[in-house]
Amino acid sequence: MSGVTGVIALLLLLTLGIPIGVALGTVGLVGLVFLLGAEPALIKAGGVLFETASRYELGLLPLFLLMAHLCFAAGASRDFFDAAARLIGHRRGGLALASILGCAGFGSISGSSLATAATVGLVGLPEMRRRGYSDALATGAIAAGGTLGSIIPPSGALIVFGILAEQSIGKLFTAAIVPAITQTLFYLVTIVLVCRWRPSLGPALPRVGWRKRRAALLRVGDLVALVVLVLAGIGLGWFTPTEAAAIGVVGALALCARRRRLSRTVLLDALSDTLRTTGMLYVVIIGALIFAVFMSLTGLSDQIAAIMDTQSGNPTIAVVTMAVILLLLGSVLDGLALMLLTTPILLPIIHSLGLSPIWFGIFLVRTMEIGFIHPPIGINLYVIQEIAKDVPLSRIFKGVLPFLAADFLHLALLIAVPAVALALPAWLAT
Amino acid sequence: MDELTPDKAPPRPRGPLFYAGAAGLATATVVETIAVSGRWLSLPLHGALEIIQAAILVTACVSMLSATLAGTHASVQLLLNRLTPRRKRLLTRSGSLISAVFFAALTVASIWLTIGHWDGYEETELLHISLRPLRILCSISMLAIVVVFAYRTIKPRASER
Repeated sequence: MSGVTGVIALLLLLTLGIPIGVALGTVGLVGLVFLLGAEPALIKAGGVLFETASRYELGLLPLFLLMAHLCFAAGASRDFFDAAARLIGHRRGGLALASILGCAGFGSISGSSLATAATVGLVGLPEMRRRGYSDALATGAIAAGGTLGSIIPPSGALIVFGILAEQSIGKLFTAAIVPAITQTLFYLVTIVLVCRWRPSLGPALPRVGWRKRRAALLRVGDLVALVVLVLAGIGLGWFTPTEAAAIGVVGALALCARRRRLSRTVLLDALSDTLRTTGMLYVVIIGALIFAVFMSLTGLSDQIAAIMDTQSGNPTIAVVTMAVILLLLGSVLDGLALMLLTTPILLPIIHSLGLSPIWFGIFLVRTMEIGFIHPPIGINLYVIQEIAKDVPLSRIFKGVLPFLAADFLHLALLIAVPAVALALPAWLAT
Repeated sequence: MDELTPDKAPPRPRGPLFYAGAAGLATATVVETIAVSGRWLSLPLHGALEIIQAAILVTACVSMLSATLAGTHASVQLLLNRLTPRRKRLLTRSGSLISAVFFAALTVASIWLTIGHWDGYEETELLHISLRPLRILCSISMLAIVVVFAYRTIKPRASER
């Protein structure tokens, strides 16, 4: 009963616009006071605060953020889009395909859906509209492509999940690679099909010569090398994720210097932006961990697991049920709030069903991503509308519909074939 | 992360707080890079992890305060965006009040644990870094956050009025 009350109280506080970390922490702390008494609750909360703030593994969060800000200052978003546009812009829907690839490239640095949609949108949207692309296709492609930022490692969402669920962040990053690639492919195929159905939606541009293409590819060479070094280093066990993040920062600094973009202002701005985002995330994580302690004491997960077991006894049905619940909750909650609310409840159920928590992390981030582009929240849609103010929201939503269909198919694939996420980490571990 | 709802273009802090956080980040980056290079060159840097933990704690404490000062804490805006300015102002102030109370509880908890561990002379294993100053820093940063939220309850940010 206390668990259900806690969840309802949390939903209420979140809806009222209380900061997410504060809402989680307040419900968790009040719940602990009721269950354990004031003194043990305060000691527990104080312990969580100090342990989280001094946790070595969490060091990768500010370091990856700093790397992203430095790469952004080095012009990564424009370079990724330009390279993809020159390579495939001459095909039908080529610029929309380039936007998806640009989002995938920039997502591998930014770790954020919103940042990816906003930055690639600033570059790609005006270009597509200037070239006569349909508003719906242009905005839909970038809104959907932006979600790749949440799953392509190093992903902020996966880091938060890893800390919350006490799972190896290195394994989570490795597990996300194949789902990220397949999701990108699903989006590309969607654009090809849409443009084959109605070619006027994405007209082909004149072909660019190989010299210009090679120049654009060479321009992103250093960015790609940095991303590959960081990810391969983690996957192959050369460094821990925190070490990889530090190497990433040094590499990003070198990259800025090589491109003559490194200045005092750039460095200070990157540090300043990093500190603010880091602070927000620490509050959220501390609140979520206090809430998780409370949830584990309520036994709510065990009760839900028992209900699922008696209702179906089939893990696949249980997972589909979870997906439906997550998608419904994603209609009213932001992605981060959704993850922080549901992880402490659903993770023990995943354990009891004998499923992999690493797979669950990928599944959760994937469902969270879908929430970024479906109404009424669909935050990426609003971000795109900020960039293209004259395009009505309804038109952006129409443009994102084919990508939503691709997302549902991809989620079904992830549920039906868990190896999509689990094969690579297992293979690298042998 | 995608759910941030920061105020647009908040002022960029460049005071001692900013430099302390930046120093923590820089220390973590440099020490970690030296540690990795040293490992590959068979010259291990002993105690690197302890230095990084301390640096990260400084960054974490300072950054939480920075985010509070800049008003960049993530929140769900679904309802807030649909309210009249007056009701929105009321909810924002209530949010600041609840936040102040929550961080006050964390401050009490942090001070309580600091006092509890005071005679234990906690320190790290290899480099013997004392945890006392780190616990004190943690408590002070929580207290500062309480003050900021309490002030915001009385006098909201210009963008929230």
